[in-house]
Amino acid sequence: MNKTTKMVIVLTVITGLSGAILSSWDSVTKPKIEYHKLQALKVAISDVLPSYDYYEEKDIDGKTIYIGKLNDSTQPTGIAFKVDGSGFQGNLSIMVGVDPSFTSITGIKVLEQIETPGLGTKIVEDPSNKTDPFWFPEQFVGVIFSPQINVVKNSIPQNSNEIQAISGATISSKAVVRILNEDISIMKELYQSVN
Amino acid sequence: MAKTPTPLSKEFLKGLWNENPILRMLLGLCPTLAVTNSAINGLSMGLATTFALLCSSILISLLRKIIPSQVRIAGYIVIIATFVTVADKFLAAYLPEISKALGPYVPLIVVNCIILGRQEAFSSKNGVGRSIIDALGMGSGFILVLLVLGSIRELFGSATIFNLQILGDWFNPWMIMILPPGAFLTLGLLIGLGNWLNERKVKI
Amino acid sequence: MNLLLLFISAAIVNNFVLTYFLGICPFVGVSKRVSSAVSMGLAVMFVMTITAAVTWLIYHLLLVPYHIEILEYVSFILVIASLVQLVEMFIKKVSKPLYDTLGIYLPLITTNCAILGLALFSVLRDYSFVESLVFGIGAGAGFTLALVIMAGIREELELSNIPKPFRGAGITMIVAGSLALAFMGFAGLISM
Repeated sequence: MNKTTKMVIVLTVITGLSGAILSSWDSVTKPKIEYHKLQALKVAISDVLPSYDYYEEKDIDGKTIYIGKLNDSTQPTGIAFKVDGSGFQGNLSIMVGVDPSFTSITGIKVLEQIETPGLGTKIVEDPSNKTDPFWFPEQFVGVIFSPQINVVKNSIPQNSNEIQAISGATISSKAVVRILNEDISIMKELYQSVN
Repeated sequence: MAKTPTPLSKEFLKGLWNENPILRMLLGLCPTLAVTNSAINGLSMGLATTFALLCSSILISLLRKIIPSQVRIAGYIVIIATFVTVADKFLAAYLPEISKALGPYVPLIVVNCIILGRQEAFSSKNGVGRSIIDALGMGSGFILVLLVLGSIRELFGSATIFNLQILGDWFNPWMIMILPPGAFLTLGLLIGLGNWLNERKVKI
Repeated sequence: MNLLLLFISAAIVNNFVLTYFLGICPFVGVSKRVSSAVSMGLAVMFVMTITAAVTWLIYHLLLVPYHIEILEYVSFILVIASLVQLVEMFIKKVSKPLYDTLGIYLPLITTNCAILGLALFSVLRDYSFVESLVFGIGAGAGFTLALVIMAGIREELELSNIPKPFRGAGITMIVAGSLALAFMGFAGLISM
């Protein structure tokens, strides 16, 4: 057999085999991967919204919002959506829940971050605080974001629009607040324009 | 082909120490440094790499007489990339937490010099049985170093090993150990230690 | 995202070698002389920029429309390997002096994880075409920077009295650790 033909045939067979293996493996794993993604989304939504029986997905101008509702009422219990922005070292992606009138936050959950381990990562969980490792995200519950959320350092927040910064990770704390301040008002306008 | 066949046990053990891929041959350093901020990450990475190495070695030693030498590298990388994709999707489907922690370093196994290096140096010249032993030995050597490195960094960086509290509250974790500089420093010290032991003719 | 910020982020703040550990093998292997470090750096930067463009096109024009993202790794590594070959042949034809400087480093680039890493990161972060191009140049510049600094230090190290077991790779890793520590100081430079 000609050398070149042999080369082409062998490579084609190997590539074809690889394609066959992968496409069959893909059909096995894809549903599972999709399932995990959906599960993660559901957990995030239930973490940030007050109790609801089911949620509706709605697209407004390319942004997806999740509206929590009770079975016996058409009134939403809260609205959740994803916000993005740059943190200390890279992108921060946060799921945030607000009350239906868009005045206060019902919960936040950081979905993606690459902050400094041990410092900036406290925006997700603070293992050094044994009694309440989630103190940072939890203090956003009930915070009123008009005119805007403010960050205070080294003191207990006095007003209902203030949250306490993480010591050693002020920039990460401020980044979370800045993203929330910017994006919630945008989502508010979007939401109210269709309702 | 070796003139006198080396005993299989030696073929396996060389990967653990004398030809340890990381400490002696300095191959596959990227994943070694990147994912060893905890013992469990190091172990998972080691297992995923060994899986890809083992499967590729078996297939390539089976095909060694069929693949023309001019296109062997292209053939090898397609085979390696295929098995790495299988491992990556397996992690994403069944162990999503670990998959998230390892991130893009799982697909980067494709360019792990250990795998291509073993195909070129061993599987393309030896039979299936011998290639399996070689792959398992090299894989174990790789896992061992990743595990040691991950444990050291997790112990000093988070006071735990495999998420079990080892050091008490009196210990203030050295944050630097789980950050990038800690990876370089720990590996540098391990390589030095490896050389030192080797010079004293410590054999295992 | 602002393109300039993206460039600085890729080159300095999130340096490929010192924070993502990509391209460590050439970082240890080719950092003995400043002159060869510069050549290697330039070769990597060149291939990175082209790779960023080509893999973006492949992913968004071929893999996504036909729903065969599963072939991502296989196709990327094949593209990179063939690109490196093409670049090598091209440089050989066009400029002999350039080939003499970069030539021997080009084959090494195929298994340089920084190249594949670059392609994977731009998919993962959903960069646009222009963004991934800038990301490629920035990452290449960052790689060159780290390599040249390291080579400068290693030239000095040769004259110093290092404990024998640490000579070579051991001390290189420890110096890289100090460099990574220094580069951490850049974190936060671009966040606000």
